Amino acid sequence: MLEQSGFVNIQIGPAVDTFGGAGGESKARLFEVFGYAFLAHKPT
Amino acid sequence: MSDALPVDAAALREEVKTKYREVAVNPHAGFHFHTGRPLARRLGYADAVVARLPDSAVEAFAGVGNPFSQGALRPGERVIDLGSGGGFDCFVAAGQVGPEGRVVGVDMTEEMLHRSRAAATALGLGNVEFRPGIIEDLTVEDGWADAVISNGVINLCADKRRVFTEIMRVLRPGGRLQFADIANGKEVPAGALRNIDLWTD
Repeated sequence: MLEQSGFVNIQIGPAVDTFGGAGGESKARLFEVFGYAFLAHKPT
Repeated sequence: MSDALPVDAAALREEVKTKYREVAVNPHAGFHFHTGRPLARRLGYADAVVARLPDSAVEAFAGVGNPFSQGALRPGERVIDLGSGGGFDCFVAAGQVGPEGRVVGVDMTEEMLHRSRAAATALGLGNVEFRPGIIEDLTVEDGWADAVISNGVINLCADKRRVFTEIMRVLRPGGRLQFADIANGKEVPAGALRNIDLWTD
């Protein structure tokens, strides 16, 4: 969707176990939910 | 892929407000996600950066990643934080852009705005401002921002395409979107996607 919105040079960082040890961990594991950091640029 | 939204955007917004109002008022209540300093440590924020902030600026932090892990902001930059919550990422951003930079946090939850504004005052930050609003319709002029940041908020919006279009509008040409958010490796059933309660629990 970032590309479809016109962003370029998109980078995605490594997965982070955001919910590990929290109440939402089991649901996160069920759907393999992790946190990611994204970087995208508006074209010049 | 259909352009139809899986849930009613306004109804989801009210559900999200209710959840994060709880976080703002009682951040230690216990939620399905981590909060505060333990979360910041878990997500890789530098201890020295977090340690200089008072509890009031950190305890309602409820992000899902570290948008600054994709690169620090630069001195003098103008930054917008989408869904700024208790203001934690804005305060980190303010330290990076310095006194010549500006940071605008946007949040739709009054209790979060009250918390973030109080913390900004306590920190003596004159270049950080918190505005009420929704991230699909920002009260920021075209091309104002060098960078847009966000942390765990865009996934809570029903119309993500509209959010990204709005981000594109407020960024200057060559500007950056640095955000953290969750993504799932396994497909969520369509029935679950239509259940608003599951978006915030």
